[in-house]
Amino acid sequence: MEMMTVKIKRFDGRNSYYQKYEVPYEKGKTILWLLTTIREEQDPTLNFTSACRHAICGSCAVQINGNAFLACNTPLDDVLDTYKTMNLTFEPLKNFEVIKDLVIVWEPKMEKMTKVKPWIIPGEEGSKEIGFLQSEEDFQQIAAPTDCILCGVCASECNQLAVNQDGYLEPFILNKAYRYIVDTRDGAPEQHLKPVLENDLWKCLHCMQCVSQCPKTIPLTDQIAFLRSATMAMGELDNQGAKHAYAFHDDVKNKGRLNETMLPIKTDGLVQTALTKIPFALRMVKKGKINPLHMPKQISGIQEVRKLYEYAEEVKS
Amino acid sequence: MTLTYAFFPGCTLESAAEELMISTKKVAEALGIELIELNGWTCCGASHIQDIDNFLSTSINARNIALAESLGVSKLLTVCNTCTLMLRTAKLKMDKNERLKEQVNVGLDRAGLQYKGTVEVTHLLWALLEDYGLENLKKKVTVPLKGLKVANFYGCHIVMPPDVMGFENHRNPQSMEMVAEALGAECVEFDQRLACCGFHAVFPAQKEVMTMTGINCLSPKEAGADCIVTPCPLCQMQLDAYQPDAQKRFDQDITMPIIHLPQLIGLALGISPEELAINRHVVDAIPALQRKLQLA
Amino acid sequence: MLKFDVVVVGAGGAGMMAALSASEKNNLKVAVLSKIFPTRSHTGAAQGGINAAMGYRDSTDSPEKHFRDTVKGSDFLADQDAVEFFTSGMPDMISELDYYGVPFSRDEKGQVAQRPFGGASSPRTCYSADKTGHVILHALYEQCLKNHVQFLNEWFLLSLVVEDGKFEGLVAMDIRDGKIHPIQAKSVVIASGGFGRIYWSRTTNAINMTGDGTAACFEAGIPLKDPEFIQFHPTGLAQTGVLLSEACRGEGGYLINKDGERFMARYAPEKMELGPRDLVSRSIETEIKEGRGFGEGMTSYVLMDLRHLGEKKIMERLPQVRELALEFEGVDLIKEPVPIRPSCHYTMGGIHVSDYKTCSTPIEGIHAAGECCSVSIHGANRLGGNSVADVVFFGKYAGLGAKESAMRRSFGRTEKLEQEANAWKTKFKTIREKTTGVSMFSIRNRLAETMWNYVGIFRTESEMAQALATVDELIEEYKDAYAGDASVKYNMAFINYVEIGNILKLARAVAMGALNRRESRGSHSRGDYPTRNDEQFLKHTLIYKDGENYRLEYAPVTITNYQPEERKY
Repeated sequence: MEMMTVKIKRFDGRNSYYQKYEVPYEKGKTILWLLTTIREEQDPTLNFTSACRHAICGSCAVQINGNAFLACNTPLDDVLDTYKTMNLTFEPLKNFEVIKDLVIVWEPKMEKMTKVKPWIIPGEEGSKEIGFLQSEEDFQQIAAPTDCILCGVCASECNQLAVNQDGYLEPFILNKAYRYIVDTRDGAPEQHLKPVLENDLWKCLHCMQCVSQCPKTIPLTDQIAFLRSATMAMGELDNQGAKHAYAFHDDVKNKGRLNETMLPIKTDGLVQTALTKIPFALRMVKKGKINPLHMPKQISGIQEVRKLYEYAEEVKS
Repeated sequence: MTLTYAFFPGCTLESAAEELMISTKKVAEALGIELIELNGWTCCGASHIQDIDNFLSTSINARNIALAESLGVSKLLTVCNTCTLMLRTAKLKMDKNERLKEQVNVGLDRAGLQYKGTVEVTHLLWALLEDYGLENLKKKVTVPLKGLKVANFYGCHIVMPPDVMGFENHRNPQSMEMVAEALGAECVEFDQRLACCGFHAVFPAQKEVMTMTGINCLSPKEAGADCIVTPCPLCQMQLDAYQPDAQKRFDQDITMPIIHLPQLIGLALGISPEELAINRHVVDAIPALQRKLQLA
Repeated sequence: MLKFDVVVVGAGGAGMMAALSASEKNNLKVAVLSKIFPTRSHTGAAQGGINAAMGYRDSTDSPEKHFRDTVKGSDFLADQDAVEFFTSGMPDMISELDYYGVPFSRDEKGQVAQRPFGGASSPRTCYSADKTGHVILHALYEQCLKNHVQFLNEWFLLSLVVEDGKFEGLVAMDIRDGKIHPIQAKSVVIASGGFGRIYWSRTTNAINMTGDGTAACFEAGIPLKDPEFIQFHPTGLAQTGVLLSEACRGEGGYLINKDGERFMARYAPEKMELGPRDLVSRSIETEIKEGRGFGEGMTSYVLMDLRHLGEKKIMERLPQVRELALEFEGVDLIKEPVPIRPSCHYTMGGIHVSDYKTCSTPIEGIHAAGECCSVSIHGANRLGGNSVADVVFFGKYAGLGAKESAMRRSFGRTEKLEQEANAWKTKFKTIREKTTGVSMFSIRNRLAETMWNYVGIFRTESEMAQALATVDELIEEYKDAYAGDASVKYNMAFINYVEIGNILKLARAVAMGALNRRESRGSHSRGDYPTRNDEQFLKHTLIYKDGENYRLEYAPVTITNYQPEERKY
């Protein structure tokens, strides 16, 4: 019989350690089956959370070999195949407080979520007595984001969160804000959006971890792009993020390509750049990586590129 | 055998990562790969323009791809993860959504172009595996990189999101290891193999990104790597050019040379470090390479 | 000692609705106690929808028609005054949920969309794609956050304390630190969900649906009403019981036995696989019982074969079904058939609610709502789309009822609460220190097997008598059950131990109710009494627990508008 070696990170409230279990391999099982089998057949002291076991309650996300998965709908065979191994290491989700073994605490996250007012602020057209009207198309806007099951996989994988727990919002919190910002029934989208901007919206690293691992395939990174657009539409242009994005936007329009030399100045302004980026600039110049005298020429076809800009403006309006 | 690709260099290859332009061309020539640079390519948007205008982001990349289509080739080749992602994202969106494609084409029409969807977007790393073949690559190796311990730093955008990239399993890709091993190098295992370099937020999240850079250098260093190799010039720039800034946040010495994938390949093909412009890096990679290799 | 005006036990749709209505516009101190984080609750698993006669899709629809359909669906065992109250209030409820931000699918006019559902004479099921319960659960949680509702998450109800027939408080464990607390309260709403886990692996229910609140009420002296009525779904996945959509049969899937036969030919030669749910369920179980299934015991199954539909049709029409089979059974429906077996879906019976307007029980101060109880609006069989409706509607009225109770009542004495808490502390200590005994999981599994085989989809006198005897033996064995975890903090083994005690208690009542109901009605299908017998059994079962003894009584059904007639569709 083929055996799997399963190492699980245990935590009893004080000490943490890894415990090894040997489990006979079975075909066609899920990760939740594996955890349940260990608990019921080998070690009833092992703790993890699970409930619905079909990917709707969001209880059972864990890390396996360094990545977050929802245990109930992840086929064991897929995981073994991914890592080409019969050795699995289980750990609780990253970026969460752990209470015991694989069990994490959610309340602090919900507390944090209240920053974005994660509830509808009803618009004046609706009432408790008659509800709202909302078009099918407008409903479609909130269809994907309301798939979120608060499993925490996105937060566990988020690279910004890993180094900025206090400042940055978990992708599922951004999703919740997005969900009400685009909900036509909401009467005060700016009340959800402002806190998003104030909580490091521009620090998303574009690493695509959240969107790549979300078990509900919610387009989280598209949402972040939307949130950024929305803050800029609100006039929030005087920040590094917006200025950085506009540097690219404008360079492509003017020349077709990025002017790397000017990028810091466009993003941070001359003074800030002089204060913080001088050593960087000097070492770049020294290695020939920046040539302050080199200004990119306009590409051939720049007129056509500008037509695309014009057309995109037409499409927007 | 001559493989021909339309070539999309991307902005960094014209300035900060000119060494990648140089080494890519050298390696392509040595392998007998023909690269036809697109005339009039624009910046891919570098994962920023969609924050201002999603449709525009798709449109400019549709134009880049349409330029390739007009060359009559089957693949457009890049050497930058983010360029690959941006181009493939635009392509996937249009190929999946006929209405969007038509709309984008209305704009392209004014620019005298048409997006058809006939050209595939690939990365040099994938092309080596898919089109060129590891066996053929091995045959070209004249200086096996024996004893060189490399840390393969993939960068996010060559594997994620998987529905756009899809070349290999994003949780455990192996393409870099396959190429490095074909060249005779030894791959070290390290925690940050699939980490994010943080480049795209280095301005608004400077503090956090510098911390990440330090960790990304320390992890392979502790695993005994001689250098990091990456298929992405943005990762390279972040880890190399910002390394002195990251160092300030760490007590330990984080020094780690960072080279581009084509530079690693070039070394194995017997091309000299200077010809591959390895001397252009902020953290000098040549001593570490010389210690282990009989360099040309 | 912890003190609240109102405690709500359970944080699903009913519990959170109750908390919202109990705490609205007043200064009452309300807490919601839940053994899991609120958004994990089983309300979230409801897919199809929520019934309300909005009349948007069909202007001829009316609460009256919804009323009639529900009564007919219940096989006339529902209390008609309660049903009328429910159906007439549901349209307003939908508007209220809309106002709370529930993302309902919409029709072309922008109104809440409605679709047809089994047993409904008009398309009146409001929905949000296939995740109706999920979005309602989350919207209610958001409303609770907005209204600063106090949650005691990962707290487990151990028992209710009643003195002189009146509610005094409850005892619960904070799972995280293992502390057992007496909690004084003026009123309580039990909203702890159903108890489908008496069949353990053969249920679509979440693994924690162990009827803790129902068992606590039962123990406190409130009778269980109609516990024998249990709804089954014909196509659960074999390994996990996870529901495979009815659409498989609808799209033309074949049911195949070990001999490769499409066995439905034996039971429904014309309709074949498209026969009604209960018939298909019984047919599958008959095949297995008669040795024509695959596998053994609780893991037996038959096959659902969709291959003849072809890849294109499967991908177009049944993509989610294919995904489910791939994930949970490791089977690609395009290439292989998937193992299936019926699965327990819903418990119609539960805590006896004696006043539907306040959802109060015979014990002053104790209210109940949702699947844990029986109002009864579902009678012998619940209609699809009526469960989430029940949960939010009666959750609201239970909350209002509990509010009234709390305003009327004052805090009582604390001695008995302290005593009860101390008794649980001793018990916790004993179980933690116990190092040998009968495996609790073994007891649970044998209970499930007994209930499935003998008090499952079809029932006969002799088998049920045998089951009752076995359950009694298991209750005896449970006294020596071993949980296996000595820790104080987050001791889920102890929680499981109590849960298993709860399903044992409830299963015994199910078996007893079923054994004594010598007729077939709704979901209760007896081989030895195949027809409905209104003369003798148009009445509610009420089972009381007096210590170790169970006592059976019957209570009349309230009939207002609709006299019993034969149930034909």
